[in-house]
Amino acid sequence: MTNNSINQTDSAPLLEVKNLGVSFFTPRGTVRAVRDASLTVRRGEVVGLVGESGCGKSTVAFSIMGYLPGIVQVDGEILYDGKDLVGMDESELEALRGNRIAMVYQDPQTSLNPTMKIGPQMREVLKTHLDLGKQEIRSRAIELFESVGLASPDTIGERYPHELSGGMQQRVVIALALACEPDLLIMDEPTTGLDVTTEATILDLIVDLKDRVNAGILFVSHNLGVIARVADRVTVMYASQTVEDADVRNIFNSPQHPYTAGLLSCVPKPANELGITPRLKSIPGSVFEARLEAGNECLFAPRCPIAHDQCTQNAPEISDADGHQVRCFFPDEVTSDIWGELKPRRDFESEDDAVVIEANDLNVRYRSRQGKKYILFGDEAQPPVRAVVDASFKVTKSRTLGIVGESGSGKSTTARALIGLTQKSSGSMLLNGDELETDSANRSDDQRADLRMVFQNPTASLNPKLPIKHAITRSLKLFGNFDNQGAYDEARALLEAVGLNPDYIERIPSELSGGEQQRVALASAFAANPKAILADEAVSALDVSVQAQVLNLLLRNQQENETSFVFISHDLGVVRYVSDDIMVMYAGHVAEQGPADAVLSSPSHPYTEALLSAAPEPDPDATPSIIRLDGAVPTMRERFTGCFFADRCHRKIDQRCDEIEPPAQSVNSSNHIIRCHIPIDQLVSQS
Amino acid sequence: MLRFLLVRFSLIFITLAVVSLAIFGVTEVLPGDVAEAILGKSRTPGALETLREQMGLDRPAWQRYVEWIFGVLQGDLGNSLVQDRPVTEILGSRLQNSLVLAVTAFLISVPSAILVGVWAGVRQGSNADHTVSVISLVAISLPEFVTGFILIVIFSSTLGWLPSSSLVMPGTSPLARPVILIMPIATMTAVLFGYVMRMTRANVIEALNTNYVRTAILKGLPRWQVIWRHAVPNAMLPTIAVISINVGWMLGGLIIVESVFAYPGLGLSLINAVNRRDLPMLQAISLLIAATYAISNLLADLAYAWLNPRIRISS
Repeated sequence: MTNNSINQTDSAPLLEVKNLGVSFFTPRGTVRAVRDASLTVRRGEVVGLVGESGCGKSTVAFSIMGYLPGIVQVDGEILYDGKDLVGMDESELEALRGNRIAMVYQDPQTSLNPTMKIGPQMREVLKTHLDLGKQEIRSRAIELFESVGLASPDTIGERYPHELSGGMQQRVVIALALACEPDLLIMDEPTTGLDVTTEATILDLIVDLKDRVNAGILFVSHNLGVIARVADRVTVMYASQTVEDADVRNIFNSPQHPYTAGLLSCVPKPANELGITPRLKSIPGSVFEARLEAGNECLFAPRCPIAHDQCTQNAPEISDADGHQVRCFFPDEVTSDIWGELKPRRDFESEDDAVVIEANDLNVRYRSRQGKKYILFGDEAQPPVRAVVDASFKVTKSRTLGIVGESGSGKSTTARALIGLTQKSSGSMLLNGDELETDSANRSDDQRADLRMVFQNPTASLNPKLPIKHAITRSLKLFGNFDNQGAYDEARALLEAVGLNPDYIERIPSELSGGEQQRVALASAFAANPKAILADEAVSALDVSVQAQVLNLLLRNQQENETSFVFISHDLGVVRYVSDDIMVMYAGHVAEQGPADAVLSSPSHPYTEALLSAAPEPDPDATPSIIRLDGAVPTMRERFTGCFFADRCHRKIDQRCDEIEPPAQSVNSSNHIIRCHIPIDQLVSQS
Repeated sequence: MLRFLLVRFSLIFITLAVVSLAIFGVTEVLPGDVAEAILGKSRTPGALETLREQMGLDRPAWQRYVEWIFGVLQGDLGNSLVQDRPVTEILGSRLQNSLVLAVTAFLISVPSAILVGVWAGVRQGSNADHTVSVISLVAISLPEFVTGFILIVIFSSTLGWLPSSSLVMPGTSPLARPVILIMPIATMTAVLFGYVMRMTRANVIEALNTNYVRTAILKGLPRWQVIWRHAVPNAMLPTIAVISINVGWMLGGLIIVESVFAYPGLGLSLINAVNRRDLPMLQAISLLIAATYAISNLLADLAYAWLNPRIRISS
């Protein structure tokens, strides 16, 4: 990534946020969402605002837009072009919003009006802020759609948001923001929730825009890889305060705040030169605790490995050294190993070849729920959807199979078929050599106790009305032969084992943070020592610091109880960190499978290559690779012919890809299998 | 689109057939028949027998039903057993009277309820909002016969401004004396207004909290445009369902309101038909009500599809 914006940035700042404070008055008391935040954005520069969820990043972003619903008190200054936006009246704000300051949101699907065509949604911005004729508005809209890389820009205005993919929707939202050539663009987690391949194309667009439009961009994200890809400068927030502010390279290479250093060490990285994957370091505790009380102390002190007495007696102010600002008394003590020694990922390798989970030619078909459109007349039923096609895999004792792929690739369906929530259509599934019945109701208690599942969303998986002890003791009593008291004691021990205070046992889920809830879900899955656990995006909703804790917890449990894992994630970095074997799925098909190292290195399936290429590295100097996939995973139906990946493949060769199912090729007759028409020796990475 | 309508109309037809069969079945099962009702207490077994023969009641039930339904298919709803006149002739003016009442009440309550609902929704939590909420809750909670009697007590008995009963001379239109319509319409409007207004208010509040309304605000659009172009169309989606359910309910309310004010509409005819076991009359009125209900549902679905592109039927 080139950084040629330095020469443009010595002008006066476009946006200056000075000591911003935002308090929400809620029935349960005052919440200080932002205590002390300061940042600047200059024209032509991208400032990344990073921090865990709950740190107040989005509140800062929405304060700049003057959009804080509810009863709010705002202190400090937000200077845009010298004018203070705090306390500005609504009509002045209306004139700026969408015109001089525009915003791009997380979750584009809900940010567009579902009942309005794209065209009118664009035209109303132009009509409100610009003095243009009908024809000019029309052509300007087409121009804008074209500038964000939307295919067929002249007809897209006739479509409704739900007719577009997530990536296209976000391009529309970006086009809306660019409509009046704003001075300042605020992007709030614009790629969060998009598939990694879509994220890569949107990030390319933003990097490209940065050079084309003469605007300053404030880019809010919790994802350090994304920040490294787009930002020129980075501001780090922790628990309602900005704690560090510097050039992107200084932040990533020599962080001066222990929190920044901690965040960086929580991100899974590839194996080092010796082939050893370093164990993730994690930041103990969570930001959740630091949000309410505010004594005269450093807010990060309770989680800081280098906290001194001074840190709990005084609150540090921002200090500046050569443009590198940091809120810490001891920035000189921050080094790469304050968060612990570099250790290998785990200190054992399983020697046991006993197969715990086995699937042979597993197939899952979905019949359309509405086979016919209408009750009496109507179309014939569509052919069934092929959700999983001929998946065969084995997971041996205390090893982990990682499954990766975009949404719609069949990862979750595979896990749901294994656990018995979704009916398989053919093939066999074995647990410890015994056949698993299709329906979980027909399985033996032992099988149900031995195979457990952890879901993505802990808030939705735990009963909100019951104390968390129910979730854990129920499994213990069902599967573990515990009486009431025994189950209660064991549940406390399990909570402690997953790093939670055992006294939490009487709390209801809403009194825990997301990371704590997920650990409760894990404790419940660990109850009665299952042989295998299926983890479906179990860490995807967690912040990196908590994610690192949970991943290490999984590895420790695996070591202590010889558990086997099927670990499903869209995040290649995370899968790479935990897995011994990896299976790459696309549209229900297994594109590639084999030992983790072999799958993640060359030769690889073009889809694996594209996935690897799309994942943003938390390194501002990393060369972004160029393989990009447009569109989304198609729905595969019966009667489909050819290669499942042909539609989006960047290495498609000839007719064969459209007509013939690709063969399963074995690399050097090992168990590393690639399903592709291209000969193995030509599947070496091209980037 | 054409096929959708075709399918829906055939479904309505089937619904009506089932309704007619059910009503026929129920009148057969219930003790007593029209002959007993006409002759009253002074009947002799012989007279009863003769009357039944005259009316064709001695034939098997299925035969009478099949005859009746063939008549209906040819547009002939049969004769009233009690009055011995064509049902259509009797019901024509009654239907007109009821329509005057129902349509006026609908046209007054729905638009005003939507307007007030939006108005209260965008002022959520204000005193105006609370006042409107309380009034609408009262309107919903009181049954029509209570609302009707309260109106009669106030405006007829006490103030003497309006006539307490809404009798219409046979052969004249109620529109000739509009003053008699005021209280029945007000009674019917009250409840419908309450439901629709509360639903609109709740949905507007929900729509105002969505991300796309946030997008609209942060586009810098003027407030009226945010409300009327972004919030209200989306808020109307669930409201339409409530309106269509309430139309069915309104027909039930019609019967009560007509009794309270002695207004000669379908409702009074229905009650008489039930009391006298006048099957052709009963069938005709029930089919009318069922058809109105089914068609209002169809209209609601069409309006819903018009407002919601996601479920629009691809042609």
